[in-house]
Amino acid sequence: MRRIFWSWLILFFFFSLSLFLALSTGPVRISLFALSPRDQAILLHLRLPRALSSFFVGGGLALSGAVFQGLFRNPLADSYLLGISSGASLGAAAALVLGFTSPLAIFTGVSFFSFLGSLLALFLVFYFGSRDGYFSVFRLLLSGLGVGLFFSSFVAVLMIMAEEELKALIFFFMGGFSSASWETTWVAVTLVPVCVWIAFYYARELNVLLLGEETALSSGVNTKRVQAIYAVLAAFLTSISVSVAGLIGFVGLIVPHMVRMVFGADHRILLPVTFLLGGTFLILCDTLAKVVLAPSELPVGVVTSLFGVPVFLYLLKKERGEYGL
Amino acid sequence: MESNVVLQIHNVSFAYERALVLKNISFSIRQGEFVALIGPNGSGKTTLLKIILGTLIPREGEIRLDGKPVLSYPPKERAKKMSYVSQQLSAGFPLTVQELVSLGRYPHEGRFSQAAGDTQAVEEALRLTDSLPFRERKFTALSGGEKQKVLIARALAQTSYLLLLDEPTVHLDLYFQLQILNSLTRLCSEGRSTVVAVLHDLNLVSLFADKVLLLKSGEPIAFGKVEEVMNERSMRDAFGVEVAVSRDSQSGAVYYLPRRPQS
Repeated sequence: MRRIFWSWLILFFFFSLSLFLALSTGPVRISLFALSPRDQAILLHLRLPRALSSFFVGGGLALSGAVFQGLFRNPLADSYLLGISSGASLGAAAALVLGFTSPLAIFTGVSFFSFLGSLLALFLVFYFGSRDGYFSVFRLLLSGLGVGLFFSSFVAVLMIMAEEELKALIFFFMGGFSSASWETTWVAVTLVPVCVWIAFYYARELNVLLLGEETALSSGVNTKRVQAIYAVLAAFLTSISVSVAGLIGFVGLIVPHMVRMVFGADHRILLPVTFLLGGTFLILCDTLAKVVLAPSELPVGVVTSLFGVPVFLYLLKKERGEYGL
Repeated sequence: MESNVVLQIHNVSFAYERALVLKNISFSIRQGEFVALIGPNGSGKTTLLKIILGTLIPREGEIRLDGKPVLSYPPKERAKKMSYVSQQLSAGFPLTVQELVSLGRYPHEGRFSQAAGDTQAVEEALRLTDSLPFRERKFTALSGGEKQKVLIARALAQTSYLLLLDEPTVHLDLYFQLQILNSLTRLCSEGRSTVVAVLHDLNLVSLFADKVLLLKSGEPIAFGKVEEVMNERSMRDAFGVEVAVSRDSQSGAVYYLPRRPQS
């Protein structure tokens, strides 16, 4: 218990630190302790939405990875491998090129169609990955690879078709938070916390599911319902991250593993810690992306890999064969 | 007498797509009995367990648990009455032994609360399976035999009175095969458990089971006491193996010694 308490404290410290750094760095020099009206506007309309969207996108990506890995009991599962990101990308690209708007006020057109795309991908992955209502993990992963490739090639077709918006599309998929505004951030700030709560609420069921579907059923878990809830939740988190920040690798696949290696595999701890660490990590990476080569910005995906991968590889090497790989 | 029947299997048939896997199976089990399912590979033993469990739905017939159709129970209520140990030894990610065994309390505990009975049940399950020495270790780092003990402990922690076990002793050494089965039969004789187990070792069946169901190609060949069901002829018919049956003069136990094939 003690160890868990201290770990939380350290995590919150890093979260606060990263938030402070994110708010106080940028092209304009601002002191957080003596704000002019102009500084206030910069803080409120540029830096705060940017910091919040990087936090919720990072947390959401990491959480969706942890959920997919737990659900499929496979260390390689994440929204990229399963083709869900490609579905979300296709939806977002279609909305950008064809100018779709959202029927719901909370979503932008891009985020709404990105969610639809991820749901379509999810449905196809399960449809082709299952037989007679049962699915095997490897069948699903292969089905995900197929669906993902198929959707990605559609995105390429859209790019060729969209001569005028080509630049916007390329910029969009490069990923990053430099164009973050309240309009794009709003959906993440309001709905990602709901997702975190739902994920945490069913964490015990996800633990039991680690023993396999039949054992989980025999333990009294309504497996089909829990699997459906988690799959839609992870797809939704994926679509939010794609619609806000384009394609960012590493976070969804690797952060959950780092947390498991330190905190263990109990999802009641794993899921909230993964969310907090993923979010903190992406705030830090985005801040670095702003300052390293200022005034030009690095793509945030480059920073996540440059700084995250060495830490991950160190943990992987240090791990003493308990991780079950 | 009818009152302490825990499980009734009535005229059950099952098919995967078109191939009939189980044909007209009927038997019932009383509280405290240890029933072994035996039969050649592919004779439908695991399928039968899954049908009893309610994860596979029979094409015909019905399973009654405590007098009610097994499929009529809500999942958690069913789990309080019946637990299951599959053949599978993997747990995906590195839970500790204690965490894994605690998962057996799922149908009992509240979402964010644990009762004293939960801890107690976990402790006893760890003790009965001799898993206390490695309770803090990661499940993924254990040997095959240790994993099997832990998975049995998880099912015991569920404190249901019907235990379904699919080959619970395959990964255990001789000592622990006897230990685990002895613990289970003791729970049965105390009236706390009823066991249905798929077993391959005829001598273990003879030592521990009260009753045996012998299956061949999905059909029940015989159901009854060990000595009535398992004899030279039935073993030849079911397995195609010549077996010498003898009695240990000291303990009175019946032993089955397979003979080497002739060709």
